Amino acid sequence: MTPSKSQKILTYVLLITFSALWLFPVLWIFLSSFKSNSELYQFPPTFLPQQFTIEHFVNAFEKGNFGKYFLNSAIVAITSTVLLLLINSMAGYALAKYKFKGGTFILLAFISTLMIPLEVIMIPIFKVLSFLGLYNSLLALIIPPAATPTGVFMLRQYLLTIPNELIEAARIDGAGEWKIYWRIILPLCQPILAALAIFSFMWRWDDFLWPLIAISDPSKYTVQLALSNFIGEFNVDWGSLLAMSVITMIPVLIVFLIFQKHLVNSMATSGMK
Amino acid sequence: MTTKPIAVLQPNPSTKKKRKLQIAPYLFVLPNLLIFTIFIVIPTLLGVIYSFHNYDGLNPMKYIGFENYAHIFTDDKFWSTLGKTLTYAMIVVPLIYVCALGVAILLVQQVIMKGFFRAIFYWPTMISFIIVGLTWRWIFGELGIINALLVAFDNEQITFLANPFFAKVAVIIAAVWSRLGFFMVLFVAGLLAIPKDFYEAAHLDGASKVKAFFHITLPLLKPTTLLVVMLSMIEAFKAYPLMFALTGGGPNKATTYIVQYIYETGFAKQELGLASAMSVVLFIIITIFTVLQFKLTKGGEN
Amino acid sequence: MENIIADYKKENTHVDIQLIEVAYNDLATKLKTMISGGKPPALARISTSEIGSFSNFAVDLGEQLGGVDSFTTQFIDSIKPYYVIDNKVVASPMDVTANGIMYNKTLFDQAGVTVPTSSDDIWTWDEFNASLKEVMDKSDAKYGLVWDFTPHRWSTLLYQFGGSMINPEGTEGTINNEAGIESVNYFKKMHDDGIIPTSVWLGGENPNNLFRTGTVAAHLSGNWMVSSYKDITDFEWGVTYMPIAKNRSSVPGGKFVMAFQKSGVEEEAAKFIAYLSSKETNSKFNQESLFMSPRKDSADLDYAFGKEMFALFADELNNTIPAAAEDWSKQTIIPKFSSDLKDGLVEVIAGGSSAEDMLNDINDQINKAIADANDN
Repeated sequence: MTPSKSQKILTYVLLITFSALWLFPVLWIFLSSFKSNSELYQFPPTFLPQQFTIEHFVNAFEKGNFGKYFLNSAIVAITSTVLLLLINSMAGYALAKYKFKGGTFILLAFISTLMIPLEVIMIPIFKVLSFLGLYNSLLALIIPPAATPTGVFMLRQYLLTIPNELIEAARIDGAGEWKIYWRIILPLCQPILAALAIFSFMWRWDDFLWPLIAISDPSKYTVQLALSNFIGEFNVDWGSLLAMSVITMIPVLIVFLIFQKHLVNSMATSGMK
Repeated sequence: MTTKPIAVLQPNPSTKKKRKLQIAPYLFVLPNLLIFTIFIVIPTLLGVIYSFHNYDGLNPMKYIGFENYAHIFTDDKFWSTLGKTLTYAMIVVPLIYVCALGVAILLVQQVIMKGFFRAIFYWPTMISFIIVGLTWRWIFGELGIINALLVAFDNEQITFLANPFFAKVAVIIAAVWSRLGFFMVLFVAGLLAIPKDFYEAAHLDGASKVKAFFHITLPLLKPTTLLVVMLSMIEAFKAYPLMFALTGGGPNKATTYIVQYIYETGFAKQELGLASAMSVVLFIIITIFTVLQFKLTKGGEN
Repeated sequence: MENIIADYKKENTHVDIQLIEVAYNDLATKLKTMISGGKPPALARISTSEIGSFSNFAVDLGEQLGGVDSFTTQFIDSIKPYYVIDNKVVASPMDVTANGIMYNKTLFDQAGVTVPTSSDDIWTWDEFNASLKEVMDKSDAKYGLVWDFTPHRWSTLLYQFGGSMINPEGTEGTINNEAGIESVNYFKKMHDDGIIPTSVWLGGENPNNLFRTGTVAAHLSGNWMVSSYKDITDFEWGVTYMPIAKNRSSVPGGKFVMAFQKSGVEEEAAKFIAYLSSKETNSKFNQESLFMSPRKDSADLDYAFGKEMFALFADELNNTIPAAAEDWSKQTIIPKFSSDLKDGLVEVIAGGSSAEDMLNDINDQINKAIADANDN
């Protein structure tokens, strides 16, 4: 089915218009991180930096051991994402393809807990973490957030669109339950797992509240904890904050660019009619 | 399979009949369930205990029965803030739905630099709300570009964010801008799960693109639709960090939504017990909403 | 702070101190979880608004610091209610703050308007407003005065008009008396007259950012802004006297160090606090950080920047009515109504409610909070 020429043109016009609107504020953030302090507060505001400066980047890096913080954030984001992909897809598969008592109830209860502001239950969370000896440990940032209901829900909804015949056929061939999940379901879930990997990496990378509760030891600080220190009681160091925001976005962007390639039609190659 | 492609996806009743391996689903759910129970459910239940106490988060709790709940039912501000939040959600959820789906449809087609375009739309999702707030303040604020343009063309400056109507509009625009990318990715994944054969069949039948969208895409996208609507609704109800950074909840509380209200009760006023009770009430309301949505759409199954 | 800790460790090799930096907005939350979770830190640098809620968990430092009286007499008297609670020294002052006014010298010069040069020819609020109006008319200034969006900064006006929030005995609210109503109405009038832009109290605009644009004649804030504004190069600025109404008054505040019970190292923490509070360490800390020392014997520090500005803030502090510190030290009462007071002030400015109704409502809340506090 080849789109006509006029449809093609319309697609590009729409795409370019919308993406320009979306890109404009992002560009401003990027360009502003190279502006001097006095230019940042200037009226009328400037778009391109008048005097290009990298002082904010230098200042920000001098304020703390950012190499260490990046390493901690990377460890947390990567391991937590791997764990999340595994346990969420297992749960999502069970909820989509098995009829079992309590399944839907569990899912709905999980999703509704997303509504409880984490801040309100911070003290009990801290108690649980310190009871399990996870206080001041990166594990506290890796394990608990991996069990996110959002991911389970995403997997479940995606798997609903996958025909049951495939699973049935495998069962008839005598494949065990784990083998069906590992060999058939996981490969079919490629696009949604890619999407979830993108999200999970971002969630963990940008997470602030869990690190704030669980980590006190500066050698275990994540990037976001360190960044928050640019926000003072009376004053926000906007220059450093902008500069570090630009830098911290890079890993998330790279992860996005790698995984979005896997956002492809997995069914197209699965031999389904 | 030319006439009714949807029929192919009807769940086959035989797959859901009881099997002897009924322990398998529980084992599959177990790791996730266990972690979630330990780190979220147990603390939440402890939070429910707070809701029956007078508690500031530090000093010993004092049991007061249902007093916190009684207080909530007579607290006009709580309900009016909840109403405002609902209005906000009713506007922002459909907007996000339509925009994200539209962009996703453009981005599953054969276009050059697909990854680049996807990255542009996803980019704002990566930016922390404090920077999102700063950015839109730079556009709508007293010293923002809109005002700079007004001045350049000899008009009076408008303090958009000091005006309740414009402040609400600004918050909605910023929310759509910053959250579209997330839901776009969900739609892209959902759209890609629709086998291409269906479209080709419809094309052969002479159906127009519009017709194909309404008769194939939308019905087959039902699971993703439910996902997006429920997640964006919960997000809209929890909206707060963005407003905090952009308008501070103002002017005159115009953009203060329910979670900010709960947060201020729990921390600025140090009434953590009352804030817990409010969270419980909100949790119940949302659960009713979710269950209804879920039942009405049969969980998004076809 | 790192340097001070390093010095201390050099002298006391058996002690190790780990400095944890937490953003101000998250400090109270972080401390709460640590203390309620049974893992309190040894000590924390906290502000006046935290002392009240954490004082039940503080180590009484009185004995370690040489007795309540001999310790407190070393520090300026107005901040005593903040850190001495029930005759216990729950924290030790690190620095003291004062509210005051920064002005854009370039704009004032451009308009040919002068500011008072000594406390003898101090201006009234009406004179100050007239001056601002003149600066707005005759210079590039777009705004007259930006005012920090906090009830604490607003209360400066309340005290200058002779009002207070709570009576000296702490038994009932006084915020809705005549002086209180008058101060709220005056505050609203300055907004209505366009002297204060609505973008700060209604639009949530950051007053610091506005002042930095060089289009604002004056900023009512506090001495902490000196170290922030010192990198401004586009225009000249200075500190001037706050106007007088019935009184002159500032609002004292500051930062304190508190040692916590059950940290396991209470004694060491108290010793370190004694070190921090000593004349030598405290002077060094405040001089380098551009803060004001709370010690009576360190009033005249040799700052590398803005020495005369600090002298002016110190003068504001010396001319402060006692009610200011008495009110703001009641930190079990203040949190119960301060956010509603902030919302109420906004509502009055927006024209949604009268000063009298709003203050009556707040006063009821104050009385209720006092009654609740006595119950517990």
